[in-house]
Amino acid sequence: MDQYLFDSTKDTSVGDFQVRDNLISILKNRFSTYGYKQVRTTTFEFYDLYSTMSGTINKDEMLKVIDSYGKVLVLRPDVTIPITRMIASNKQRLSQGSRFFYVLDVFRQSFEQADNKETTQAGIESFGESTPENDAEVIALAIHTLKDLGFESFKLEVGHAGYFKELVNQLALSQNELDQLKGLIQSKNLTEIGPFLERLSVDKELCDAVQAIPLLYGDPEDVIKRASKIALNEKMQQKIKNLSDIYDVLKAYGVEDSVIFDLGLINNMNYYSGVIFQGFVASFGKPVLMGGRYDHLAEQFDTSIPAIGFACEVDNLLHSMTRKNLIANDTTSIDVIIYYENSKQKDALIAANTLREAGYRIITYTMDDNRNIDDFSSKCIAYFQTEENLVIDKKRKTPFTNYNELELLLQEGMRDN
Amino acid sequence: MDYVTLALAKGRTAESTIELLNNAGIDFPDFHTKSRKLVFYNTDQTVKLIFVKAVDVPTYVEKGAADIGVVGKDNILESQADIYEILDLKLGRCQFVVAGKPETTLESTQKLTIASKYPTVAKSHFQQKGIPIETIKLNGSVELAPLIGLADIIVDIVETGTTINENGLKIIDEIEDISTRLIVNKASFTTKSALIHELINKLKSVME
Repeated sequence: MDQYLFDSTKDTSVGDFQVRDNLISILKNRFSTYGYKQVRTTTFEFYDLYSTMSGTINKDEMLKVIDSYGKVLVLRPDVTIPITRMIASNKQRLSQGSRFFYVLDVFRQSFEQADNKETTQAGIESFGESTPENDAEVIALAIHTLKDLGFESFKLEVGHAGYFKELVNQLALSQNELDQLKGLIQSKNLTEIGPFLERLSVDKELCDAVQAIPLLYGDPEDVIKRASKIALNEKMQQKIKNLSDIYDVLKAYGVEDSVIFDLGLINNMNYYSGVIFQGFVASFGKPVLMGGRYDHLAEQFDTSIPAIGFACEVDNLLHSMTRKNLIANDTTSIDVIIYYENSKQKDALIAANTLREAGYRIITYTMDDNRNIDDFSSKCIAYFQTEENLVIDKKRKTPFTNYNELELLLQEGMRDN
Repeated sequence: MDYVTLALAKGRTAESTIELLNNAGIDFPDFHTKSRKLVFYNTDQTVKLIFVKAVDVPTYVEKGAADIGVVGKDNILESQADIYEILDLKLGRCQFVVAGKPETTLESTQKLTIASKYPTVAKSHFQQKGIPIETIKLNGSVELAPLIGLADIIVDIVETGTTINENGLKIIDEIEDISTRLIVNKASFTTKSALIHELINKLKSVME
């Protein structure tokens, strides 16, 4: 049996769970204040659905199971695709837009991180609208969420999936070359992009445009100006116009200080079609939040619904919050421990239940239970003894005779804590 | 006072990098080559220098333990870290090569066994070429492997080729050029933008 002990690192201990649960409820509250409602999708998805969608999830990364009919299923490898499927198949009326949020586990395996197969994502999806106002609202919600969690120096990097796609369309690259180019742009590797393009013998204007992409980074207004100069055609100009419109609304929200533009931002999920963004907090290398507009994903399900959304990696958020000491450490989860002598059993148990009705967290023990009191952390201790009843809090010992006195003493004791 | 943390590989590249930093006006008064200290500050305390093992530099930077790192392209490629690779410092130039005994060719009918300090680099290179291989990870004296029969060929970095020649091996294929790079954590690039860009610009100006 021993070997299983080592493999249980993904269990969440009692203390960690409370912290995690608090974090999740902050996210949920914020999402619902923007009119989002929670949904859940099935854990088991059809493998065929994902294997036919190219440029989304690597087939090797999905965890497969076979059901009793021999069908191959996968454990939910992504949330955006299932929710889109759900909306598309429910044929819900989307005239006024539909806003959903979720807190769900996502399952993927990779060779490098064999012991990290499940992560929790908390995110939102907004269906039915495609306007700069809608884009900006979702970005503002993302910023609002990170603020709620107490991060001070965080930034949202905003780019556009369409800008890069339009540009590479003119390059006629093989899949292998495209992957290489993406890698070079994602790492802002200016040293090697030049020689790479030279080998492909691309014409000068196009070459300059590609080389400029990693540098299209920084203050939004400045980036818009520079990007517009090198845009090669009408379509690329439209993308820039779109970003500029979104930025105007972001300014109206007053969140422009948290936003940086980066047109070198590329999301490996191929379904993004418009604005894309990533949230970074100081000294945590990976994005804690990712999202963007995906207006064509629903076409996979024979319908057309514009949509935008983002997801937070709950574990990454927890990790970076712990490092920044943003997590309040509440170790006392019990309000009162009641010890009683057998002669007072009835009094004690009735008092305990009355207190529980009032919302106190209570544990009861008999007096001869020889546990060490130090093992428990509670704010107060109450004794029901034959000679006298006592309440002990951090400061004093006080006798009491009836329930009302007990509750008053406990209220005082809690306040002093 | 806010500062940037710079991770530097112990050993050969350290001295020339510190010289480059000095030229750029970033001075570490406490630093001298024989010191065993692992942490140094520059004069105005805007840069904190930490010394780590070369292979660990990309990890420190990817995880955000350091904002910036200076490390060879070989280690960046092997680690596959998700970082920005901003500048080529043009130091410590060498090459990734495939080498083997003079009679060895890559057109073998049997599966090739490759010994290397860089198994990931070796795998991806041969995958691109469509040649199936098996890798053996070694931590040093890689040239020995083909001589002793542990592997058919090796993938290693060479500066002049002397070690390869003296051990009776020859270079079969060149993979790519290596030099020292400046890498930056993706979050720091955004959240500590001003400090980092100042440092990058200072370095750029002395390199021209």
